[in-house]
Amino acid sequence: MTPEEMQAAIEALQGLSNTNLEIFYYWCTAIMVLIHAGFLMYEMGASRVKHSLASGTKNVLAFAFMIPTFYMFGWLIYLSFWQGFTYDPVWGEFGLPMSAIMGPNMADQATGVFWGAFTLFACTTASILSGAVIERIRMASFVVLAVILGSVVWNLAASWGWHPAGWLVTEYGYHDAVASGVVHTISGFFALGVLINLGPRIGKFNADGSANQIRGHSLPMTITGLMLIVVGFFGFIGACVLYNYGVGGGWTNIYGGPTTLSAYLFNTLMAVAGGIIGCYACTRDPFWMMSGALCGVISAAAGLDLWYPPLAFAIAFAGGYLGPWAAGQLEKMGIDDAVGAVSVHGICGVWGLLAVGIFLGGYPGFSSWDGFEIPPINMTGQVIGAIVMMLTGFIPGYVLSWIFNKLGVLRAGDGVQRDGMDHELEGIAYPEEIRSQ
Amino acid sequence: MFNSSPITSWEGAEAIFSYADSPMGMAVCFWVMAVMLVVPLVVSYNAEERAEIAHQ
Repeated sequence: MTPEEMQAAIEALQGLSNTNLEIFYYWCTAIMVLIHAGFLMYEMGASRVKHSLASGTKNVLAFAFMIPTFYMFGWLIYLSFWQGFTYDPVWGEFGLPMSAIMGPNMADQATGVFWGAFTLFACTTASILSGAVIERIRMASFVVLAVILGSVVWNLAASWGWHPAGWLVTEYGYHDAVASGVVHTISGFFALGVLINLGPRIGKFNADGSANQIRGHSLPMTITGLMLIVVGFFGFIGACVLYNYGVGGGWTNIYGGPTTLSAYLFNTLMAVAGGIIGCYACTRDPFWMMSGALCGVISAAAGLDLWYPPLAFAIAFAGGYLGPWAAGQLEKMGIDDAVGAVSVHGICGVWGLLAVGIFLGGYPGFSSWDGFEIPPINMTGQVIGAIVMMLTGFIPGYVLSWIFNKLGVLRAGDGVQRDGMDHELEGIAYPEEIRSQ
Repeated sequence: MFNSSPITSWEGAEAIFSYADSPMGMAVCFWVMAVMLVVPLVVSYNAEERAEIAHQ
């Protein structure tokens, strides 16, 4: 083979690799849409009949609004704010909506699929808020809050802690491979901020402060929806790995550290199982049993690239206990979180970050960007990261919902809640004869 | 009718989307999209207000 033929063969293989990776991320993104199909079923099933269509509509609208807004400014924020609140114009240029690579471009097979995957991460983040606030939040305010969460807040956090040069990573060795913090803690605590101002559903709490259980109209729909979310997570997790063309090649985690898809698969499956069993053991409640799958994956997500699989199971099992316990504590504090989003995502997300500090300390840091000395994984970095994530989620959620509440546009009136949120829509979920309270 | 093609040949073509060579064309499309996101929120708000009155 002549040198020219060798070069041609190398270029052909490179082209094939690009195409294969494009296919990989394309289908990861498609599979992630199942997360939203799952959230849709989950939230509609968890709503009473008179609110079910409004819950579903809210969920679908969040998904739809996230896509153009993530194109307009979400991707730009992720790429360019890795130093903190300082804009990096060099990287920002790649995320500007009028950039030559933000559309069909024959010289770029990467930007579209990565933008798509991150857009679906954003949709997931916003959907987490969606479940917590069902049956009483007004549609327009919810959409605005979801856009701020999904296309502004989580992107900022991801740029800090889920980026090869993010300041939490480079200064503190923060490790969050599959987003326990940057997606789940952020969205869980954003939801908490909103719930404080939104208030409980009518009838949730009695005059003495005790809580009533408000059951959704279809637990089978909710459980099936949760299983769909689990399926969608495999797309989410697949899109959290990158490919390194450099020396040695191979898959890397989001920071550029070496990993394999096998590592993620071992630990994802173990975490799903651990969470389900832990929650079942704790509650024997079918709703919480399936939510346990989320508790488990979220608890193990930050270290999903590094756990010994039985340890991933144990951490997820503990998350399966922690989720419902935390939900009970929040209820005692007068917070009405209709689906346990704050505890499942917020609290289990924090647990996941701390678990990395407890069990994974000492792993060497790694960044795919030259010129950065990354500290090894350590407890201090994880604690700082967890605090940053909690505050970055909570403060904007609380402040924005406080403003909306003062303007009187956050919460539906008692009459609409009593008669059903579906009355705001042109349609009903079920035939009139089976509408009920 | 609007002649939005940024290329005259597929040879060496890179950015091929409509108005890729026209910042003004892209800006118009961008802001039309932005308006299309705001209008449904206003419509939704108005519907909510009507529902509030009807169910007081």
